[in-house]
Amino acid sequence: MATDAHPTPETSEIEGRIVEFLHRELLEPGVTIGRDADLLSGEVIDSIGILRLATFVGEEFRIVIQPADFVVENFRSVAVIAGYVVRALAAHGPGDTRP
Amino acid sequence: MPVLLNRLVDEAASRDPGAPAIRCDGDTLTYEQLARRANGLARVLLETGLSRGDRVAVWLGKGLDVPVSFYGALAAGATLVPIDPKSPVDQAVRIMRATGATHLISEPDRRAAVSRALADCPDVAQVIGLAGDEATPVPCVTWETVLEQASDRPPDVQVLDLDPAYILHTSGSTGLPKLILHTHYGAMSFVDWAASTYALRSDDRLTNHSSHHTCFATFDYYAAARAGATTVILTPAVLMMPGSLSAVLEREQVSVWYSVPAALVQLSLRGDLEARNLRALRWVLFAGETFPGKHLRRIRQQLPGARLSHVYGSTEVNVCTYFHLPETGDPVGPLPIGKACATTRTLVADAALHPVPDGEVGELFVRGSTVMAGYWGDPERNREVLVRRPAGGGLDEVYFRTGDRARVLADGNLAFVARADRQVKVRGHRVELEEVEAALLSLAAVEEAAVFTVPDGEGSSALRAAVVVGGDAPPAVRDMLADLRRSLPPYALPSDIAAVNALPRTPTGKVDVRALAGQLIEGKTRDGD
Repeated sequence: MATDAHPTPETSEIEGRIVEFLHRELLEPGVTIGRDADLLSGEVIDSIGILRLATFVGEEFRIVIQPADFVVENFRSVAVIAGYVVRALAAHGPGDTRP
Repeated sequence: MPVLLNRLVDEAASRDPGAPAIRCDGDTLTYEQLARRANGLARVLLETGLSRGDRVAVWLGKGLDVPVSFYGALAAGATLVPIDPKSPVDQAVRIMRATGATHLISEPDRRAAVSRALADCPDVAQVIGLAGDEATPVPCVTWETVLEQASDRPPDVQVLDLDPAYILHTSGSTGLPKLILHTHYGAMSFVDWAASTYALRSDDRLTNHSSHHTCFATFDYYAAARAGATTVILTPAVLMMPGSLSAVLEREQVSVWYSVPAALVQLSLRGDLEARNLRALRWVLFAGETFPGKHLRRIRQQLPGARLSHVYGSTEVNVCTYFHLPETGDPVGPLPIGKACATTRTLVADAALHPVPDGEVGELFVRGSTVMAGYWGDPERNREVLVRRPAGGGLDEVYFRTGDRARVLADGNLAFVARADRQVKVRGHRVELEEVEAALLSLAAVEEAAVFTVPDGEGSSALRAAVVVGGDAPPAVRDMLADLRRSLPPYALPSDIAAVNALPRTPTGKVDVRALAGQLIEGKTRDGD
C-alpha cells in the first residue's frame, strides 16, 4: 500500500543511507568509512553489528534478506550492499516480502 | 605418549607428506610444507637467542601463519603464548609483560600496534613476521626470511612431557587476564582422548572456528594433526556471514565441527542449511554454554547425518566431561554435561571437599591429566583453585575447583546447575561481570555501575549495564561505549547502558542485580519518577 510513497532509490542514495547508519549506530565517533572499505575484516564491526546492519538494510529498503543472500558477496562493503539492494529491489520491488 | 606437541606435524608429515594439513580461503599447506616452515621458524627462534621454556607470543589474525607459528615455537622448545587477535594493544602488552615473552611473532598488518606494544614490553628482544623500521626498537625478521630457513629437520631440542607447552588467556577485560599454563602432557592427554573418542582419521576435515587463543583451538589444531587430518581455518568474513559459512562447510567437505552453541544457532537460523550438502559432517561438538532445546531440535533436523556431542570444561581443564546426544529422540530438559572423560575423575562436593550425596547440588571438582599446571604468576589463585585432598600414605590428590555447581543425575550423568561466581559466557567468551563494572566505573562521570546478563534469544547472553552518572553534563551512552571499547574486547561490551538515578540494593548493601534486571527489562527505571 505504501509502495508509491517509496520509489526505488538511486545507488548513491542507498550508499549514503547505509554510511549514515554505520556512523550513527555502529562506528566509533571520529571513525569514517568509505564505500569500498572491508566491513567483514572483524576490525570494523563485529558479528552482532553485521546483524544490526542487515536488519537496518532490510527495513530501510523494504527488502527481505533471504538466508541464501546472507553471504560475503552481498555484504563485503557499503558499495557491495548497495548493489545487492538494487538487485533485490529490481527482482521484487520495494515492500515485497515474498521469498 | 610417544609424541608431544613439538613433533606432531613432523610425525604426520613422515606418514603422508602431501596430505593437506591446513586450508584457509582456498590456500593449502601440506603436512610437509607445514613441518618445513615450522622447523624453519624454530631455527630462527633459536638463532635469535631463544632458550627452552622462553615464552613466544603470537599476535596474528587468522591465517596459515598461525599454525606455522604454533608448531615453530613448540619445535623450538618454547612456551607458546597465543594472544587474542582482537586484543587491544594494552591487553597484548599486559599478557606479554606478565609472561615475560622474549619473542613476538606477528604480521605486517599489525606493525603500528606492535610498535606501540614494544615500547612497554622491555623483555621482548626479537620480533618475527614484519620488517623493522625506526619505530620498532628491537631486531625484526620477516616471514620471507623464515621461509628461507625452511627445513625437513626439526631442531635438536629435548622436550619433556612435563615441560610447559602453552599459556592461554581468558577474557580478563580489565587488569590482567588469567594466564593458564598447560604442559605437553596435559595437552596430549586431551588430544589423544579427543582423537580416540571422535575416531579422528586422516581424511577428516576439522574447522578452526574459535579464536586460536582459546582451548577450542587445542582440538582444532593439535587433535587434527594427531590424526593427520585437515584443519579448515574459518576467517572473520566467513564467520560473519552464515550463508558463506555453510558454503565453506560444503565446499571443504567438513566432517567435524567444534564451537560454542551460539555459532551453531546462527548457522541454523541464517545459514541456508537446506540448500547445502553437508553429508560429510559426522560429528558436531559444542561447549561453553547451554544449548537451547528449540535450536538444538532444529539443527538436528537440518544435519541428520551428524552425531552431536556436548563437551564441558573450562580452559583450565580443557575438556573434562562429555555427553553424546542419543542418535534418535530428543533429550528432555537441559542437556547434561555427561560423564567424566577417560582422562578425568569428577567430584561433586562441599567446600571441604566432602562428596555430597548423588542428586544433591555441590561444587564440581575435577582431577585429571588435562588439568592445567596452574595460573602463570599467580600462586595465590593457584592455592584457591588447585586444592589438595588426602589420598593416603601422607600424600595428597590435587583437584581443580571449577567454580561450577553441579549434581549427579540418576543415570550417572552430571548436570550443570550454575556458576558459583559471576563469571558469565557471552557468545562463548568468558566475561567477569565485575570487570565490566570496573571498566564502567573507570569512566570519569560514572559513579555506580552494575552489569547483568539477559538472554539474547539465540542461546547466548547479552550484557546490560546500568550506571549512575554524576556531573552537570552526563555523557551519552554512545560516548560511554566508545570509551569502553578502549579497555574491553568487543564481546565484553554491554549491548545497552541505562542511566538510572540509583541502583537497587539488598539489605546488606549489595547491588540487587535481580531487582535491577526486573526494573530495566520492564522499563521501570527511576528516571522521570
